[in-house]
Amino acid sequence: MLVASELSKKFGGKSALSGVSFHVKRGEIYGLLGHNGAGKSTSLGVILGMVMPDSGDVTIDGISVLRDRSRALRKVGAIFESPAFYDYLSGWDNLKILMSYSGGFDATAARVVVERVGLSRRIHSKVRTFSHGMRQRLALAQALLPEPEVLLLDEPTDGLDPEGIKWFREFILKLRDERGMTVLFNSHLLAEVELMCDRVAILREGKRVFEGSIGSIQDDTRWFEVDFEPWGIACGLVHSAGGEVRAVGRISLPATVDPAGLIETLVRAGVRIRGFSPMRRSLEDLYMEILNGAGSPN
Amino acid sequence: MLFFQQLRGELRKLFARPRTWMGYGAFILMEAVILFVYKLDRSQAYMHAMLERNGLDFGTYYSSLSITFTIMLLSMFLLGSIYFALVAGDIVAKENEDGNLRMVFARPISRLRLLLVKYAAVSLYTFTFVFFVGVSGYAMAVAAVGWKGGLFVMEPKMKVFAAYSDWWEGAGRLAMSAGGIGVSMITLSSIAFMFSCFKIKPAAATIVTLTILFVDMILQGFPFFKPYESWFITWRMSAWVFIMEPQISWPKIVESYAFLFGLNVTLFTLGWISFQSRDFKT
Repeated sequence: MLVASELSKKFGGKSALSGVSFHVKRGEIYGLLGHNGAGKSTSLGVILGMVMPDSGDVTIDGISVLRDRSRALRKVGAIFESPAFYDYLSGWDNLKILMSYSGGFDATAARVVVERVGLSRRIHSKVRTFSHGMRQRLALAQALLPEPEVLLLDEPTDGLDPEGIKWFREFILKLRDERGMTVLFNSHLLAEVELMCDRVAILREGKRVFEGSIGSIQDDTRWFEVDFEPWGIACGLVHSAGGEVRAVGRISLPATVDPAGLIETLVRAGVRIRGFSPMRRSLEDLYMEILNGAGSPN
Repeated sequence: MLFFQQLRGELRKLFARPRTWMGYGAFILMEAVILFVYKLDRSQAYMHAMLERNGLDFGTYYSSLSITFTIMLLSMFLLGSIYFALVAGDIVAKENEDGNLRMVFARPISRLRLLLVKYAAVSLYTFTFVFFVGVSGYAMAVAAVGWKGGLFVMEPKMKVFAAYSDWWEGAGRLAMSAGGIGVSMITLSSIAFMFSCFKIKPAAATIVTLTILFVDMILQGFPFFKPYESWFITWRMSAWVFIMEPQISWPKIVESYAFLFGLNVTLFTLGWISFQSRDFKT
C-alpha cells in the first residue's frame, strides 16, 4: 500500500535519510522508531511531499508522491505531534478549511466523524480554548474526514495523559479492524508501538537498522532475569554453556540449552542463585540493543 | 467551484483575525483625523485661497467628493502601504511559522494551487479594502460637509489638475479612481506576497516590501532619475490618477497597468519557484 524506496536526503550536507526503504502492507500498522533526528519525521515529510528527497521515491497505492502528489495523497490522512490549527477559528471552521483542500466539505460526514472522536460538544468553540487532548481529537477528525485508506501518525500520543493514550490506541486499532486502514505510526513511545504495530522499522542516523514483525522480537532465544553471586564466575559459566550475558542480571539461552542443566552447573561451581526467572523480551530491549550498536542492519 | 470554496476559507481566515478589524478601525480613525484637519479654519482658508487662485468657487469644491479624494490619497499612502504589506507579508510566512502549513500539506493540494488561492484572497482583500476606505471616507465627509458639490483634484507629482462641478461626473471619476488605486495596491501586495513565499519571517517580508517601495519613491524624486520615472514601480502605481484628467488618456493608463500586471505575474512566479523548491519539515 505504501512503499518507500531508497529514500535519501541531506540537509546542508548532513545526511537525514540514507537509502531508507520500507513497505507498509494494506491493513497493517507499521511502526517507525528511532531517536530524535533519526529520520522518522523526514521520512514522513517525504511521504507527504513536504520534503523533496535527493533520491528515491514513495508510492501510495501504486501512485508516486513525487510525480503525482495530489492523486497519491487523495486517500491519506495525517496527524502530527502538536497539530497547529487556526486557533482563532472554531474546530468546525478548521475542518471546513482543511477539507476544502481535500475535495470539499461534507457537513453530514463531518458531524459523524466529530461525534466519533468525541468532540461534538466543543466543535464550535475556538481552538485556542482546546486542551492538548481535544486538539489531538480534532486532528484525528481532520485526518479521517477524507475517508483515508492510509493514516500517517507522527508522534500522535506525545503529551497525552495515559487515558488519552489508551483511547487513541484503541481508536486506531478499531479503525484498522473495521476499515482495514493502513497505518504508519511514527513514535518513540516503545510500549505504544509494541501494543499497536504489526511490524516495525528502526532508524538510526538516517538508516534503517531493523525491520521485522513484533512477533519476531520473540525469537528462539529464551531470556532470563537472574541474580547470581559472584557475577563474574557465573558469566563465564553461562558463556561456556552456550548462553549470552545481555546485561547485568539478564541472560539469554538458545533453545538447545536446558536451563536446569545450567543451574546445576552454577550450583556445583559454588555460585549462589538468588533469582532465575524467564522473561519476555520487549521491543525496548531490542531497541536498546540496536541503538547501543549490538544490532546489525538488515 | 472548489477553488471558490478554498478562497472562501482563505478569506474566512483573514477576517477572523483581530488584526484585520484593527486595520479597519485604524483607517476610520485616520479618515476622522484628515476630516478634522480639513474642517479647521486655517485649512479652510488655505483651500479657499487655492481654489480662488485657480478661478474655482469654494462653495462648489469644498465638498464631500474633494475630501474623499484627499482621504483616499493620504490614507493609502500613509497607512495603506504598511497595512497591505503586513497582510500580504503574513499570508504564507505566518502560516509557515505557526505550523499551519504542514496541516495543509497533508492534503492533496498542489503548492501552486495553494499559492493561487492565497494570492487571489490577498488581491481581493486589497482591492475591496480601497473601496471600503472610499465609501467610509465619503460617508464621513457627507456627515461633515453634506453631499452636494463637485470634485477638485490636484496631484502635482503626476501633474494632474481637474475640477468637476457636476456631482455625478465627480462621483463617477472618484469611483473609477478607487478601482485604479485598488489595482495599483495589488502590486504592493504582490511584492509582500513574493517575500512571504521565501524562507523568511513574516515581519521581514513586510519590512523588505516597505523598504523597496520607499527607496523606489525616494529615487524617483531625484532630478537625474526624472527621464526614467516610468520605470519606477510607485510611478506606475500612481497611474490611476490619470483617470481624473478631463480627457482620460487611456493609452497611458493601459500601459502602466500592463507594466504592473507583468510585474505582478513575475513576482508571483518568483514566489512560487521559491515556495515550490522549499522543504517543509514536519
